[in-house]
Amino acid sequence: MSTPILEVENLGVKYGSHHGAHHGRSDALYDVSFEVRRGELVGVIGPNGAGKSTMFKAICGLVNHSGVVEVNGVHCHDRTDRMDLAYIPQRNDSDLTFPITVGELVLAGRRRFNSWWQRPAAADRAAADDALHKVLLGGTESCSLTELSGGQLQRAYLARALAQQASVVLLDESLSGVDEPTTAELFEVFNTLSADGTAMLVATHDLALARRRFKRCLAINGTLRGDGTPEQTLSPNILDATFGSLGRS
Amino acid sequence: MNWLTEPFQAEFMQRALLATIIIGIVAPVVGTWVVLRRMANLGDAMSHGTLAGVGLAYAAGVNVLFGAMGAGVLIAALLLWFSTNRRLGQETVIAVLGTAFFAIGVVVISRLDTGVALTHFLFGRVLTVTWGDIWLNLALGGAAVLVVSALFNELRLASFDHVQAEQVGVHVELVQAILVLLLAVVVVISLRAVGTIMAVTMLVTPAASARLLARNLRQMTLLGVVFGVGEGVGGLLVSYHLSSSPGATIGLVAAAVFAVTFAITLPRRMPHHHRPFG
Repeated sequence: MSTPILEVENLGVKYGSHHGAHHGRSDALYDVSFEVRRGELVGVIGPNGAGKSTMFKAICGLVNHSGVVEVNGVHCHDRTDRMDLAYIPQRNDSDLTFPITVGELVLAGRRRFNSWWQRPAAADRAAADDALHKVLLGGTESCSLTELSGGQLQRAYLARALAQQASVVLLDESLSGVDEPTTAELFEVFNTLSADGTAMLVATHDLALARRRFKRCLAINGTLRGDGTPEQTLSPNILDATFGSLGRS
Repeated sequence: MNWLTEPFQAEFMQRALLATIIIGIVAPVVGTWVVLRRMANLGDAMSHGTLAGVGLAYAAGVNVLFGAMGAGVLIAALLLWFSTNRRLGQETVIAVLGTAFFAIGVVVISRLDTGVALTHFLFGRVLTVTWGDIWLNLALGGAAVLVVSALFNELRLASFDHVQAEQVGVHVELVQAILVLLLAVVVVISLRAVGTIMAVTMLVTPAASARLLARNLRQMTLLGVVFGVGEGVGGLLVSYHLSSSPGATIGLVAAAVFAVTFAITLPRRMPHHHRPFG
């Protein structure tokens, strides 16, 4: 068994607080601990408001949290320790009319390798181009984001994460509202990336999809309610704890 | 042809032309980011609020541009400070600061016993621009363009997706603070030509017209500059021939260009151009 690429220990986030989390009613998330290995494709299930996005943001250091996050064995103190992580937010978070081309979007992933005054070098452009080809979007560099379909847009964000050379990619509800052929297309790309060693955590509230597409699922609702194969995680007890009566229907 | 060249025979008109061109270049370069980041309200409050600095500097016998710059920096600092209060939205803080500083300016100028009209500051007096003003504007404006150019990639990353920008090492809050200061610079260099009320026009309107047409950021910036210079010079010419207020006429020309651009690009923005997800 390989060493974990991502280790999360006692992660906690408090609502409306700049301090670490403690048990209590105001906890958005508490006592979340798990490990993810290189190349793993993990589904993160839970109802809306269960804390999936909060957990991803905490792992990336985008919200204040308590607990420990280690990436590739390195203890993360601040955001600069977490550049090996890529977070792809829900797609309605972005202004798609922003005048940025697909090529420029992907090139943004290369910023971690440059200082603020440096322009992207030829190597950066080559890496961005390579990332676009890996997600089957070669030739779309000069397209604007509004010209892409929902599935293509998700792949463009994935290409940005690839250009960033992130070891761990966190996708937040990327599959919501996406039709079945597009879902299949996205999973083809997920599987290729995970075969290349990228660990991926995909948040979804679609239990049927989680059952079909993942080998491991984390069930989240305030804390970690289950961690295992879809059969284990989607067992009645864990579903009750995660979704309440909704999960059984 | 004479219609175009005759106004610029006089030296005061040549100075006015130079001042307008400087604003026409600098304002859209900064305004591009103001429009993209939906900060036009801040630009409005900043342009009104600098009247406080203008009035106080005039009363003290100091160049009003220095007073305006001081007020702009103070508004920017207070905005950043007050915005940390989570009970107040940034829009609220902007409105409070803008009107408070504007009120200070009006009270101070109305108390002056120099016969100077409040409207001179509100709508500008481009025909009274001095060579000293032009050199100061050139220095401030040149610095602003250099800063935007150096930070172009950082501004793009922070403006499009601040979450990812933070993840890859961009200091998003610092970029925002620098942009607010640049905004103050644009307001200052627009003061003489278009006044505190109309300064936001040159900051926002050319960039907004460019936003409707451009496919990428460089295009938007360049088109904004073309619009800014064209509208500034066009407005100056029209005001000369109509004997109207230069600042207000420039504002009207800019608004007319925006209206035409909006109408031309309307078919492109119709719903059938948006492809569904899937």
